[in-house]
Amino acid sequence: MGFLNSYIYYIGAFGLILVGLYIILVKHNLIKVIIGLGILDTGVNLFLISVGYITKGTAPIFSRPGIDSERMVDPVPQALVLTAIVIGVAVLALALSLAIRLYQHYGTLNLRKIREQKW
Amino acid sequence: MVNPVLLIAVPLGLAFAIPLFALFWKAAAKYVPPVAFAFNLVISLLLLPKVLENPVIVSIGGWQPPFCINLVAGPVGVLFSIIIALVGLLVSIYALDYIKEGAAEKYHMLYLLLLTGATGVVLTGDIFNLFVFFEILCISSYALVAYTANKAGFESAIKYLIQGAVGSSLLLIGVGLLYGLFGTLNMADIAQNIKSVSPISVFVPMVLLITGLGVEAAIFPLNAWLPDAHSSAPSSISAVLSGIAIEVGLYAVVRVVFTIFGASSILLFLALLGILTLLVGEMCAFSQNNIKRMLAYSSIGQIGLILFALAIATSYGVTGGLFQLVSHALSKALLFLAAGYMIYRAGSMEISALEGMGKKMPLTCLAFTIGAFSLVGLPPFIGFPSKFLVVRAALATKETFLFVLIGLALLGTVIEAAYFFRVVQVLYFKGEKPNPERKEAPITALVPMFIFVVLIVIVGIYPKLVTDVLNSAASELLNRLDYIRSVLG
Repeated sequence: MGFLNSYIYYIGAFGLILVGLYIILVKHNLIKVIIGLGILDTGVNLFLISVGYITKGTAPIFSRPGIDSERMVDPVPQALVLTAIVIGVAVLALALSLAIRLYQHYGTLNLRKIREQKW
Repeated sequence: MVNPVLLIAVPLGLAFAIPLFALFWKAAAKYVPPVAFAFNLVISLLLLPKVLENPVIVSIGGWQPPFCINLVAGPVGVLFSIIIALVGLLVSIYALDYIKEGAAEKYHMLYLLLLTGATGVVLTGDIFNLFVFFEILCISSYALVAYTANKAGFESAIKYLIQGAVGSSLLLIGVGLLYGLFGTLNMADIAQNIKSVSPISVFVPMVLLITGLGVEAAIFPLNAWLPDAHSSAPSSISAVLSGIAIEVGLYAVVRVVFTIFGASSILLFLALLGILTLLVGEMCAFSQNNIKRMLAYSSIGQIGLILFALAIATSYGVTGGLFQLVSHALSKALLFLAAGYMIYRAGSMEISALEGMGKKMPLTCLAFTIGAFSLVGLPPFIGFPSKFLVVRAALATKETFLFVLIGLALLGTVIEAAYFFRVVQVLYFKGEKPNPERKEAPITALVPMFIFVVLIVIVGIYPKLVTDVLNSAASELLNRLDYIRSVLG
C-alpha cells in the first residue's frame, strides 16, 4: 500500500492523460475529441500539481505564526497550473467555436465525413 | 541602453490596444502592426552590435537568475527577432490592401500576437515562459488559419488545433518532469545540472519536449496539419506561418537539444529525420496541382534540410542551417506574397489557372520567379550560398552516413527544381492569348515584394553581410557552457 499512497497522484494523472489521448485518437465525433483534449489538459494539470505537493501540506505563506516551513507545498507548480488552466480554457473555447462553424458548413460533426483536405 | 523587454512588451501592448483604436477609427487597426514591427526592427538592429560582444540578460522582477524569469538576448535571439520583425513588417504592409473581408481588426490583432509570441519564444531563457509564448503563437495561428471562414479554413484549423493542443500538452508534461527533477525552470540552470541525474530519467522529458515542439516545427511524422493549414490561411498568414512560425518551432527544438540537454547522441537520428522530412515534403510537393499546397509542402522540405544542417552540429553545419533558415524565411514569404495576388487575379489556386500570368502581372511573376530560383539554390540569389554552406558542412565531417544523407538532400533539391520550374514555365510560356490586359498587384503589395527581392539578391551576392552574425549565433548554440556562464554569472 505504501507504493499506492506515495504515487497515487502520478498514477491518476497519467491515467487521465492516457484516457484523453485514447479519446483523441479513437473517437470520430468532434465534440468527443474536444472532451478528450479537456481530459488530457486535466491530467497534465494534476501531474504538475502533484510534482510540488506534500501530503497534508500548508500554503506557503509566512504571515501566520507557527507554520512549519518543512510542510509548505511548492508554490511554483501551482502558478504554472494557473497559467496552464487559462491556456487550456482558451484552446477549448476556440475548438468549440470552430466545431460550431464546422457543423454549419458540413452539417455533421463526424470527423470521418469531414475530409475535403487530403495529402 | 536598449532593453530587449521592449521587443515583447510594445507589440503585446499595441495588440491589445487595437480594439480600442478601432472604436474611434475603424481603419486604424491595419496601421498598428507596421508601426510595431518597424519599432521592433529598429530596436533589434540597435541591440545587434552589443549582443555580438556579450549576450544581454534581462531579469524580470528584480530577482537574480535562476529565481526570476529572464530574457536572454544572445546572437541567436536577436538574429531571430530581426528576421521576425523584418518579415512581419513587410507582410503587414502587404496586408494593408490584401485583407478586405471579414473582421479586419481581429486579423491585425491576432497577427501582432502571433509574431509577439514568436519573438518571446526566441528571447526567453525560461522553459515555462517558452511554453507560454509558444501557446500565444499557436492559439493565434489556429484562429488565423480559420480567418477565410470557408469550409477548408475551418477544417484545417480544427485539425491544426487538435494536433497542436496534443503537442503542447506533451511539452507541458516534459516541463513538469524537468521541474520535478531539477526544481528549476531556468534553461541555463537545468543545463548546468543535467549531468547530475541518470541519463535515462532525462531521456523521457527530452523525448516529450522534442515531440511537443516538433509538432509546431513540422518534423516528419508530426506534420500532417501543415499543408492544410498553410494552404487554407490567407496568403499573408501563410507567408508568416511558413516564414516564421515553423522556423521558431525548429529553433525551440534546437535550443532544447543543444543547450538544455547537450544531447550529442541523438543528432544522427535528427539528421535522418531531417532528410526524411525533406524527401517526403519535396515528393508530395511535386505531385500537387494547387499552388499554395505545393508551396506548403516545399516548406516541409526546407524545414527538413534546415534540421539536417543543424543536426550536423559542427560550426559550419549550424552556420549553414541558420543561413538556410534565413534564406527560407525570405524566399518563402516572397513566394506566398506573390502567389497571393496571382491567385486573387486568376480566381483559382490551380497551377493551370495561372497560364499567361507572366504577361498579365509581369512584376509579381518576376518576384515569384526570383523566390523560386532562390529556394532551389540558383546563384546569384540567397539560396545558393546557404545551400552551398550546408553541402560543404556535410562533406567536411568525413562521415559516410552524412555523405549518403547529403546525396539524398541533393536529390530532393532536384525534385524541388523540377516542380518550381514547371510553375515558372506555366507562368511565362503557356497560354494562348497574345496580349492580355495588364493588371498588376497594388503598390502596397509590390513594395514589400521588391524589398524581399532586393534582400535576396544583395545577400546572395555578398553573403559576408550576414555571415558574422550567423557565425556568432552558431557558436552560441554550440557552446552551452558559455551560455550557462553568461546567464548564471
